[in-house]
Amino acid sequence: MIQSKPVASRSASDLAAAYGRKYGILIALIVVCVFLTFANEYFLTGRNLLNVLRQTSINGILAIGMTFVILTRGIDLSVGSVVALAGVVSASLATSSVNAMVPGGPYPTVVAFGVGILVGMACGAISGWVVSRFNVPAFVATLGMLSAARGMTLLYAGGKPVPELTDEYRWIGTADVLGIPMPVVAFAVIFLVAFWVLSATRFGRHVYAVGGNPHAAKVSGISISRIRLLVYVISGGLAGFSGMLLAARTGSALTQAGIAYELDAIAAVVIGGTSLGGGIGKVTGTVIGALLIGVMNNGLDLMGVESYYQQVIKGALIVAAVMLDQARHREA
Amino acid sequence: MKNVFKAMVAACALMTALPATAEAKLKIGAAVYGLNAEFMQIWAAALKNHPAVKSGLVDVTVFDGKYDALTQQDQFNTMITQGYDAIIFVPIDVEAGAAAVQAAHDAGIPVFGSNTRVNSKLLTSYVGSDDVKSGYMEAKYVLDKIGCKGNVVVIEGPIGQSAQIQRLEGNKKALAECPNVKVLEDKTANWSRAEAQTLMENWLTAHPGEINGVIGQNDEMALGAIEAIKGAKLDVKSFAIAGIDGVTDALLAVKAGNMASILQDGAAQAQGALDLAIASKMPDYKPMSDIWKQYPDMPWADGKAAEYSVPWTPVTAENVDALLALRK
Repeated sequence: MIQSKPVASRSASDLAAAYGRKYGILIALIVVCVFLTFANEYFLTGRNLLNVLRQTSINGILAIGMTFVILTRGIDLSVGSVVALAGVVSASLATSSVNAMVPGGPYPTVVAFGVGILVGMACGAISGWVVSRFNVPAFVATLGMLSAARGMTLLYAGGKPVPELTDEYRWIGTADVLGIPMPVVAFAVIFLVAFWVLSATRFGRHVYAVGGNPHAAKVSGISISRIRLLVYVISGGLAGFSGMLLAARTGSALTQAGIAYELDAIAAVVIGGTSLGGGIGKVTGTVIGALLIGVMNNGLDLMGVESYYQQVIKGALIVAAVMLDQARHREA
Repeated sequence: MKNVFKAMVAACALMTALPATAEAKLKIGAAVYGLNAEFMQIWAAALKNHPAVKSGLVDVTVFDGKYDALTQQDQFNTMITQGYDAIIFVPIDVEAGAAAVQAAHDAGIPVFGSNTRVNSKLLTSYVGSDDVKSGYMEAKYVLDKIGCKGNVVVIEGPIGQSAQIQRLEGNKKALAECPNVKVLEDKTANWSRAEAQTLMENWLTAHPGEINGVIGQNDEMALGAIEAIKGAKLDVKSFAIAGIDGVTDALLAVKAGNMASILQDGAAQAQGALDLAIASKMPDYKPMSDIWKQYPDMPWADGKAAEYSVPWTPVTAENVDALLALRK
C-alpha cells in the first residue's frame, strides 16, 4: 500500500505500468465493453446491459461472500452445494404443488426466505467452526461441506425438483423495481453493505488483519477464530440467498442447481485482484471481476461464438490475474 | 494387515462359491448412471414397483453409478462377485460401458440394456426409446406451429452424448422438410435450465422480434427459454416451444399452454427390461408389467427380441392431467 519511491522520481513508463497493475482489471473490462460495442449492435443497449447485470448477480453475490473468506486466507468450495440445499429447503416451504413435502404450505414468503438464509448460514457456521476450532484447512473443510450439502439436498428433495413456487416467492427473481431487475437490486445492496463493512467497520479491519498477518492480529488482541467463523457464516448466508434467487429466477428449485458455481465465484475474486494469500483485495475488484466474466459470456453469446471459447478465455484470465498479483507483490 | 487382506480374499471366494440357488428368489441388479435427476428417479421407482418385485418373485438392487463410468464398472464387478442372476444396465457412456458388459458376459450373467445405449454386441436385449424419433417429433411440432416458415433456435444437450447426437439428427430431419426456416442460433446448454435461460436472454437481445420457435432438446432447457421470454416481457404463447422427456414442470407448462413436450416413458423402459431379465432365467415366465398391454406397438415376442422400442407419448391438453396424477 505504501509507495516505496516518491512518485516524482518515476518515469512515465513506470507510472503507466503501476497504473496498469492497479487498474488492469477495470481497463480490461472497459476494453472488452468497447470492443463488444463495435462488434455487436445490441451490446450497448439498456436491455442488454440489464441482462448482463441480471446474469452476473448470482455469481456476483457468491463472489462477494467468497471475498470475505479469501481475505482471511481461506476458501469456500461449498457455495454451489449450499445454493442447491438452501434453494430446495426454502422452496419446499413456498410451493403450491399438491405434492408438497412440507404439509400446510405454502408458508409466507418471509418464512421461506428466512429459513433459506438460515440454512446457508448454518452450513457456513459448520465449515467455519471446523476451520477455526480444529484448524482443519479451509480447502478440506469446505470440500467436505460441498459433498455433504449436495447429499443433504438430494436426501431432502428425494432427487426431485421443487416446482410451482408462489408468485410472491418468485418476485425476488422476476420483478423489476423502477425498471431494474430485483436480482440486480439485491446484488447492488449487498455490494454496498459489503463495501461499507470491509472499509469502514472494525470487523472489516479485523478481516484484513487476520489474513494479512495472523500472528500480529493475535498479538493485538483480535479473536482470530471468531473472525474466521464469521466469514464462513457470511459466505454461507449469501450462498443461501443466491440459492433462493436462482430458484425464483428459474421457477423451480433443482437438486442439480449450482454445480461448479464455487469455481466462477473464486474466479471473480481472483480476477478482481484479491490475493489468495489473504489480507489484500477489495470487494469493488470482485464485482468488476464478476462483471468481466458476465460481459464476456454475454458478448460471446451475442456474437454466436461457441461456448467452449468462453471457458478457455476465462481460464487465461484467471492465470493472468494471479500473474498480475505476483508482480504487485514483487513491487511492494 | 496381511491377515485382513487374506480374510477378505477368502470371504470373497466363499461368496462366489456359494451357489446362486441358495435363495429361491432371483437376484437382479440394476446399474444406472446416476440418481440425481427426476427422470432416473422415476425409472428406479418403476423398477421397484414392478409386480414381480412386489409379489416377492425377485429381489432388485439399484446401484447409483454417480455419473462415472469407472464406478459403474466397479459395481458390475460387485454384482459378478455376489452372483447376481441378471443385470439391467443404464450406462453413462456409450463406449466405456462395453467393458462392463463384457465382464458380466464372461461370468455368464446376462445383461439387459435400458434407456441408454451401450456400444456392445453382448447385450441380451435393449429396451429404450428412439431419440432420433423424439428429435423429429418435437421439431415437427415447432415447425408445424410456425407454418414451416420463420426463424428458430436450437438448444442442444452436452455435445457428444448419445441423446444429443440422436435428437439433433431428428431435429435436422424435420428442419430439412422446411427449407424456408432459418436456424438463427444453435448452442448447448448442457441439459440445464439456468444455462438455457441465460442463453435465450442473450439470443432475444441479439435477434429482437426474429425468433419464432425454440427447439429444446430436453424439457429443462425449453423451460429455461420460457423463463427468459417471460423475463423479456414477451408473450410465451406467441412462440412455438418444445422439449423432450415429460418432467413434471414441463407437464405443468403444457397444461398452461406454454410448450409441447414428448414423454419418454422411463417407467416402461425399466419394467420392460425387468420382465426380460426374469424371462431369461425362468423359461415359463409370462411378463407381469402392464406396459405390454399399454403399448401394443411393442410386442413381447416371447422375450426373445434384441430390441424393444418404447413409443414416445406426446403430452397434450387431453392427457396431461392423467400423466400428472401418476407423479403423486
